[in-house]
Amino acid sequence: MGADKPSVPTPPLPARPRWILGIAVPALALLVVVVGTAAVMARFGHAYRAYPLVASVAGKADGDARDLERRAARASAALQRLQPRGTYLVVDTYRNRLHVYRDGELLRTAVCSTGTGIVLRDPRNGREWVFDTPLGERIIENKRRNPVWAKPDWAFIEEGMLPPTDPNERFDDVSLGKYGLYMGDGYIIHGTLFKSLLGRRVTHGCIRLGDEDLEFVYNATPIGARVFLY
Amino acid sequence: MSLSTTPRPSALAYFCTSALVVAASAAASDISARPARVAALELELSLAQRPEVYLLLNPAGRTLEVKIRGVTLDRVPLTGIKIITHAPVFGGRAVSPLPLPAIWRLVNGPGDTDREYIAPTELRPYNPDGYDDPPPGTPPTRPGTSPSTGTPLPEPPASYRAQLDTGYDLWITTTLPPQGFLARASAAVRDGWQRLRGRGIHLPPAITLAMAKEDAVRLHHLMRSNMAILVLAEP
Repeated sequence: MGADKPSVPTPPLPARPRWILGIAVPALALLVVVVGTAAVMARFGHAYRAYPLVASVAGKADGDARDLERRAARASAALQRLQPRGTYLVVDTYRNRLHVYRDGELLRTAVCSTGTGIVLRDPRNGREWVFDTPLGERIIENKRRNPVWAKPDWAFIEEGMLPPTDPNERFDDVSLGKYGLYMGDGYIIHGTLFKSLLGRRVTHGCIRLGDEDLEFVYNATPIGARVFLY
Repeated sequence: MSLSTTPRPSALAYFCTSALVVAASAAASDISARPARVAALELELSLAQRPEVYLLLNPAGRTLEVKIRGVTLDRVPLTGIKIITHAPVFGGRAVSPLPLPAIWRLVNGPGDTDREYIAPTELRPYNPDGYDDPPPGTPPTRPGTSPSTGTPLPEPPASYRAQLDTGYDLWITTTLPPQGFLARASAAVRDGWQRLRGRGIHLPPAITLAMAKEDAVRLHHLMRSNMAILVLAEP
């Protein structure tokens, strides 16, 4: 007959582990969902992969050693012949610099202005003009003192005006400065009234120079000289 | 507004003769051992015979040159040259070697497409006094002289792609995309998310040239349709 032993009360779970469990389980579930979703998206998503630029031999230069030497010498000589002699101009249309060379020697570097690259659209018929300074090689076709500009249609349309019906309204004997060197297709190396804009891409494709530089270029560059524009 | 009136020897080096020509004439016997170099020389001759600017990519020398008539107008050092594909992280095919030397041409260049447009909505009758005022700081002009546009143009981008006729793109950028696993996996997750939203993009493999920002910006206007790029073979 023993007295019942008093039951030992089980201690309650500490509050902290329960709290951790309550956070950890959902967090783990969330992590599984996120990682799973990411894995699925990564499976279907694309990423950049880099490979070295590896060449396979192009089969154009077949032949024996002597033949290769001959071809190399011929091509080399032909390339040398293509290079400029005498006076030529080089125009960097990004930096807006014009260089004058004579037989490979730099005579002068001038700040210039080149084309904006903007496109003008005529609202009447959709015709477009691209105000680019052309790239590549040009030839000085003509030189003139006190050049007169016969303004084309775009010069009026750009200002929001209809071109004049009277041709005399098109002539402008001021804007081009004292000298003009004509490169064909309406592209001219000329002066400017807007000297504060030199060094910037602001023109309709022509190359503008300051007064002193223009005079130097005009005197140094003969008709027929090559102009390299890049 | 002259910067210089005296000859600068450094400019001669800058405006130098084709490296190919020098290499060819300096070591004729060496050329016989390198048919790819002869082929490159002949390809360059075919380009130099036209009055057009062309680019010369030299993977071994890590340079991109702007040339015309065989002379170098500008030279850009490259910090990286890779073929970069946009493909699934797992799987995908390796790119096959490219037949080089070769001439590639731009089919569609950003120099043609990234342009600003001016489109007046209507034209008023001609009036010689109707021109806009010239920008501040410019001298007075007589009526009929256009001040042209004095507004600074936006700077070209430093990262852009152009289509090549080979089916590849030419990608000019400042840094190559990171190639670590985590970077690629996170890029794939982002791309996958865009695809789930129906905004996935298809990017063809690209010949990727990494260079300084100033150089990338400077080359942008040269990337025009039909621009030729002569790519030399690795030695």
